[in-house]
Amino acid sequence: MIPPALEIRSLVKTFAAHRAVDGIDLTVHTGTFHGIVGPNGAGKSTTIGMAVGLLTPDSGEIRILGHDALRDRGLTRALTGVLPDGLDFPERLTGAELLRYTGGLRGLRRAAATDRAAELIEVLGLAKGAGTPLADCSTGTRKKLGLAQALLHAPRLLVLDEPFEAVDPVSAATIRRVLRRFVAGGGTCVLSTHSMLLVEQMCDEVTVIHQGRVVAAGPVAEVAAGSSLEDRFVELVGAEASGSAGLDWLTGAR
Amino acid sequence: MSAAPATAGPPAGTLSAVAVPARMRATMLRRSLREHPGPAVAGLVGLLAAAWLIWYALRGDQHTLGLLAGAWVLGWIVLPLLLGGGRGRVRPAHLRLEPIGGVPAAIGLLAASAIGIGPAVSLVALAALPVHAARHGTVAVLVTASGAVLLWLLGLIGSAIALEVVGHAGGPVGALLTGIFTGTAMGVAGSLWAVFPWVSVLLTAAPEGVVRAMAYVPSGWPITAATGPTGQGVRRMAALVGIVALCAAAYIMLVRRVLIAGVPFRPRATTAASPVGARRERLGWVPAATRAVTGREARAWMRHPLRLQYLAFAVVYGALLAGLPLLSDVDLLLPWAGPLAVLGAAAMSAGLVGLDGTALWLPLTAPGGERAEVRGRALAWLLVVTPIGVLLTVAGVILAPRVDALTALSTLPALLGAGASVPVWVSLLRVRPVADPRHPTSADNPTDIVSVLVATAGGLLAAAPVLALAVWGPPEAAPLLPLVGLLCGAAVWWGGVWLADDRLARRGPEVLAAAGQRSRPPETVIPLTWNVQWYRENTATAWALGLLTVGWIPLIPQGVMPLAFGIDGGWIVAGHLDAGARTAVGWGMIGVGVAMLLAGLVLWDRRPAR
Repeated sequence: MIPPALEIRSLVKTFAAHRAVDGIDLTVHTGTFHGIVGPNGAGKSTTIGMAVGLLTPDSGEIRILGHDALRDRGLTRALTGVLPDGLDFPERLTGAELLRYTGGLRGLRRAAATDRAAELIEVLGLAKGAGTPLADCSTGTRKKLGLAQALLHAPRLLVLDEPFEAVDPVSAATIRRVLRRFVAGGGTCVLSTHSMLLVEQMCDEVTVIHQGRVVAAGPVAEVAAGSSLEDRFVELVGAEASGSAGLDWLTGAR
Repeated sequence: MSAAPATAGPPAGTLSAVAVPARMRATMLRRSLREHPGPAVAGLVGLLAAAWLIWYALRGDQHTLGLLAGAWVLGWIVLPLLLGGGRGRVRPAHLRLEPIGGVPAAIGLLAASAIGIGPAVSLVALAALPVHAARHGTVAVLVTASGAVLLWLLGLIGSAIALEVVGHAGGPVGALLTGIFTGTAMGVAGSLWAVFPWVSVLLTAAPEGVVRAMAYVPSGWPITAATGPTGQGVRRMAALVGIVALCAAAYIMLVRRVLIAGVPFRPRATTAASPVGARRERLGWVPAATRAVTGREARAWMRHPLRLQYLAFAVVYGALLAGLPLLSDVDLLLPWAGPLAVLGAAAMSAGLVGLDGTALWLPLTAPGGERAEVRGRALAWLLVVTPIGVLLTVAGVILAPRVDALTALSTLPALLGAGASVPVWVSLLRVRPVADPRHPTSADNPTDIVSVLVATAGGLLAAAPVLALAVWGPPEAAPLLPLVGLLCGAAVWWGGVWLADDRLARRGPEVLAAAGQRSRPPETVIPLTWNVQWYRENTATAWALGLLTVGWIPLIPQGVMPLAFGIDGGWIVAGHLDAGARTAVGWGMIGVGVAMLLAGLVLWDRRPAR
């Protein structure tokens, strides 16, 4: 039996008095696209951060492809590619140098790293970013370079936090194709996003997190329960559709 | 950002547009004075220095006075780059969305720049020129007063240009300039004993060489214009007006460029496209992951403005500390230029992790990334600093062939070993993130004094056995010194690497979280008016303010001035005593002043967050 690509049990994380993750259970099946959605501050990035070892959980279990991620950290790191959201890069390196650096960090042979980096730069349209210091790259280019470094060592599990943020539509289509090929080849992709449309288009399964807890999980169609995922999401997180009242000074006839 | 009212109305006149930046600056200054005692304390120190300059002008040498006035204006231009003077300043980019032209904007920005403690204190200091000219009559006073105003304008405009072009550039120029300046200041401060005799000669009467040079220095022109032939005086004052006009024109062009282009002028060097093609393998014996981190670090050392600043500081500091004693015919320290520079580089590297923001996530998600991160950082530091240390040491040995350089040469490997690894551990232990890792400026140095002291102590610890053996060991043990130095360097290297490994392996996520904490807790707001209730509730902060304000009095006028310059006014206690007692009281005053300032700093650091 193939173990789940990512299995989280009773995960808890508290920052001062705020419980950001409150006993989350999550299973991502191998060879699938899995979306994690939730309102701002729901605990998505904290959960992902703990899964890939950037945050230490207060309690709970995390297994990656059958290995204990808290104990066998070296092994699970080798199997995982990560694109976190909002973290810095080595800003003085150019895009090409970043890929060369991460290739070395991952223990790739120089020739292999060089070939793969060149191919990723071409496929993701990163020719300009490859020669520009990361500090001077646009947000979209940084996202694409971050994705390239996550793919470079051919991981089996890809964990991406907001991978399409600020990426232009053409590049986004390219990235979607690359990720589909990755999953078709047996890889697993977990992505956190605010775009319900993206989840509906790409994901096999989705987990909805609200206030540090899982409020729904399963195949996308099942979670949507006959309506659009966006409507269902608003219903699940208990948000009221505001914006229809007030602002008369703005919307009234002049 | 705009201070204009939010409601739509008729377009504001040019005069009103010019006044907007000044009003913005006045608000910023008021807020800054409420939140932090730093500017007020700096202002007090500046006023003391200005008072001394005026006192010197009453009976001092005119050429030395011109030199000191020039140094003051130069300091006004350069110091804000070092001390973060760009913060709280109204910049051309702030007016980008305002309907205002280049000339009115430049005038408004200069008017805003003139509002502050620095310009006010500088105006007082430059008053020394007409004070000096008073002995030559009313016309001389008027001419030198005009010259002083022109020099003041030169400082004002020069400072504005420097901050806009260099201070916010984030490029190598500002970084190197700041590093050279701080290195010079620290090097001179550390060599006061050697500089004082030369300074006392200069203060008594400028040597012939200085007199000749001052003919070409604008700060000397106002006095020579008032005291020399009329024709020459007119030419020099006209030249001074021309220089100020040129600077003003340059500033107007700079402001116009920012307003029109819509982006701040930022002459940042861009790195040429680096092909992904395979290159020659270097450091083949090093594990691939460590080699990758070493490569990243080596590039960062050559490109990061603050790292360049640190290197420039270390080189200048080491060279001056070892070379300035030559002014007193002492060449014993010359071979120590290398070790001193290495120690300086180690001290300045005590906050490197914080400079990279949260980029640490990359090694923390790679197998064995922590070990590679620590070793790669240490190795890159060695690769960058070793040539500097060796070159300076060899230069010192060549310049002072009669000096026994064995101890200095033996200390070098010890300091290199410690300097490579101990700062890595310290910067993982005390992460002080830079506000903007993408575009840091030379004014954003996040390194704190405790980290610097610990990193320095690591170097001194490694060098101690070598020094102890050289000083107290038998003469026949001298050939062992290089071996002891090497062993000590290797031992402290491994110690530092072990500590850093342990820190990152056990507390990696914690270090990463600290690197992401860029927002500081809100500062304590100090009331500008007398508020008894506030002072009762904030006793520690009130004491800190008092000590930081008053501590300078025993330190500078009561301690440094009578000891260093032989000043003995009516209220200077040491000035009324004989040689031995005078020295003792002077040093005692320095001790009291330092203790008061340190206590003030400690109390200020412990003030409760709002």
